[in-house]
Amino acid sequence: MSLEFFQVLSVALFSIGLYGVLARRSSVLILMSIELMLNAVNINLIAAAAFLDSAFVGQIIAIFVITVAAAEVGLALAIILQLARNKSTVNVDEVDLMKW
Amino acid sequence: MDLTQLAWLIPAFSFIAFFLVVFLGKFLPGRGVWISILAIGGGFVVFWVVLVGFLGADCPMAFGQATCGFSMEWFTAGDVELSWGIIVDPLSVVMLGMVTLVGLMIQVYSLGYMKGDPRLGWYFAVHSLFIASMLALVLADNFLLLYVVWELVGLCSYLLIGFWYERRSASEAAKKAFITTRIGDVGLLIGILLLFDQTGTFSMSGTFEAATAGQIGQGTLTLAALLIFLGAMGKSAQFPLHVWLPDAMEGPTPVSALIHAATMVAAGVFLVARAFPIFEAAPDALTVVAVIGLITALIAASQALVATDLKRILAYSTVSHLGLMMLSLGAFGYTAAIFHLVAHGFSKAVLFLGAGSVMHSMDEETDIRKMGGLRKVMPVTALTFTIGALSLAGAPLLAGFWSKDEVLLAVLDHKNYLLAFALIAAFLSALYMARALFVVFYGKLKDENQHVHESPWVMTGPMVLLAVPAAVVGFIALRVTDTGGFGTFLYFNKAHAFEFSYPLGIASALLALGALWLGWMAYGKGSTLLDPLKARLGGLNRIIENKYYLDDLYQWTIDRIILLVAKVVALFDRIVVNDTGVDGPAKGVRWSGGIIRYHVTGRMYNYALGMVIGGIFVALFWWLLTTR
Amino acid sequence: MTEVLFGIAAAMALGGGLGVVATRNVVHAALFLLLSLVAVAGLYLLLFAEFLALVQVLIYGGAIIIVLLFAIMLTRSREYPRISDNRQWPLAILAAGGLFGVVTAAILWKPSPDAAPQGPGLAKLGETLFTDWALPFEVASLVLLVALIGAIIIARAGGRG
Repeated sequence: MSLEFFQVLSVALFSIGLYGVLARRSSVLILMSIELMLNAVNINLIAAAAFLDSAFVGQIIAIFVITVAAAEVGLALAIILQLARNKSTVNVDEVDLMKW
Repeated sequence: MDLTQLAWLIPAFSFIAFFLVVFLGKFLPGRGVWISILAIGGGFVVFWVVLVGFLGADCPMAFGQATCGFSMEWFTAGDVELSWGIIVDPLSVVMLGMVTLVGLMIQVYSLGYMKGDPRLGWYFAVHSLFIASMLALVLADNFLLLYVVWELVGLCSYLLIGFWYERRSASEAAKKAFITTRIGDVGLLIGILLLFDQTGTFSMSGTFEAATAGQIGQGTLTLAALLIFLGAMGKSAQFPLHVWLPDAMEGPTPVSALIHAATMVAAGVFLVARAFPIFEAAPDALTVVAVIGLITALIAASQALVATDLKRILAYSTVSHLGLMMLSLGAFGYTAAIFHLVAHGFSKAVLFLGAGSVMHSMDEETDIRKMGGLRKVMPVTALTFTIGALSLAGAPLLAGFWSKDEVLLAVLDHKNYLLAFALIAAFLSALYMARALFVVFYGKLKDENQHVHESPWVMTGPMVLLAVPAAVVGFIALRVTDTGGFGTFLYFNKAHAFEFSYPLGIASALLALGALWLGWMAYGKGSTLLDPLKARLGGLNRIIENKYYLDDLYQWTIDRIILLVAKVVALFDRIVVNDTGVDGPAKGVRWSGGIIRYHVTGRMYNYALGMVIGGIFVALFWWLLTTR
Repeated sequence: MTEVLFGIAAAMALGGGLGVVATRNVVHAALFLLLSLVAVAGLYLLLFAEFLALVQVLIYGGAIIIVLLFAIMLTRSREYPRISDNRQWPLAILAAGGLFGVVTAAILWKPSPDAAPQGPGLAKLGETLFTDWALPFEVASLVLLVALIGAIIIARAGGRG
């Protein structure tokens, strides 16, 4: 069991999350995919901290990432609620005001 | 201090007057016209100072040497140093004197003639600028400065000929004068640049040295001389660019006097005289000058004979005499040409002022057929006009007689194959002057002209003052002292006194008197002497009356050729430049924008995909760059 | 032994992740996400990050999943049981696969030194967090506060409109 295991796992999880962000239409599912990507990043950080860094900065940063993720989810919930209220949908491709 | 250094003050006065009158005129009493007159009067005074200084100073005597002047650096562009300065040599001194005197007289005269004109201040301002430009032209010591003031002269003539721009014919005449002279000016500019290309300097002395030392190829030199002469042709109304001058009569009559006597048309003759070393080094160009001058003299004289408009007769007369001056220059008669320029300038100023006086009294009437016997009601005008006319006609002892004689002498010496034509031109000039003189002032006074009265003293005064030099200026040609007179003075003391050739003098005197007698018989006494001649030459007469169809030819050229070319160019402009060159990229951008805008879908995952693809490539590059 | 545990946890994490992006039912997706997050907490234990494993289960497994379920419940779209992907999903696979390929190649290009994972222990971590990282910690709390207020305002503004 070495660092590469965790790094490759992290990349795999990140790519899965990325696919979810790119391919899903529902904003709730996109939000979940973002959580997957944040987790992948955290795995990478903590693995690096465990294998390479005696000061464990990676773990500290991971704590902050989790904090920000929590804040992000709270805001995203508010946005999704607004979306559902105003547009009667949570699908991001039906909210396409930013175009020609 | 060298008094000749003060010469720059003469044009400076009038330049300053121009700005003062234009910008401050309406705040000044009398709209500031007195500033203008004061400036030119001051210039006249300074002229005498300069003359005295010049006679006292021991100036180096050679063509274009500016030692008796000064030159200061203007600016430096690369390797080329441009300077501006003045030349004080006999030629410029003579011209200064004539321009300031005639200009002063005409301005005083204008006080009476232009009285009550709503744009009086503007008139005097431009008048000042006109005189100032001409004076600066006379003094200029390099071709660049000369060209600048040359164009200023053209501009002022445009403004003054079109002074009454409410009249359509006046604005048309102004445009015609400007454009026609511009054609010549382009030639002058090219000529100047050609000389600059060869010598690397705009300075006249430098250019002349190079020309006389043979540093410039003969062909190039001839070409440059001809191009400079083209400029002179435009300004001095030489065939075939003479057509603007008769039309320029649309301007106020004092302006005509100024243009014809001192400023505009003299500029061309002056230019050729100033650049004479170049012409001397290019004899072929001189021959062209002589021939063009002769053609101009003959054509204009014939038209002066048939014109019925008093001012036009005088205008054609000017063209004719300018032709004689060019002929003289072409025949190496440098001094004779300048002499004739001066004598003609005074005489023509008197004639125009007289014509203006007549028009002023007769409600702007210019048709000589409606005049006659005016000497009974306008004695002063008639007397001065007679002096001017006789002088121009070459009546013995008056100024024109001596100068014309010198011109003929020069032709005899150097271009004797042209002498016969020159004599014909002299004869014709006497004949048309006789016609104008006798038809207008002698014979029976018409009933409807009984009320006509003499002009105010402010107009007759200048006429009298100008008539005096018109009569006596010829005597300066004579060897009055052992200094050799005018000719020697002009020719840098190189013992080229005016010679009076008795056979030629008697011949030209007989010709002039004969022409005057013929004119008296035909026009003064109303005899039918010339009628059979007229009938026989009916065809020729018609051609002359139609100005040799030159105007029609030009009009046809403009209508058929220039406008056609312009249309082609316009088409090219519209299709290639505008539609393709300007609208093309715009249309291309609009079209491609219309295509490309569809990538802006408004769907965020599309944008995110693009971002991710970009990110992948960034990661790839970063990896490839860091692992080596 | 740890390899086996790693294999199990990794399989659960990836499987949960694939479930999240592949399922047609939103509630199922949330449950798959929960599976993945808990597996990741197990991985943290393998890396001697006990505190983070705890936090992972508490915040992700507890708070975030609950918030997501709230979002699903409150919006209650008819599509939720049979959601579809957008039309660029093949490209999305390519992009995700491309990223995976590039970064994996980069990771495996140079083998890292073989070492045993080690952790700081809870006491050490807490000490570091409240001494060296005190200021960022406070800022993080501020971020949370701002996010909280922001969420309330956004939700309320819509309610008024």
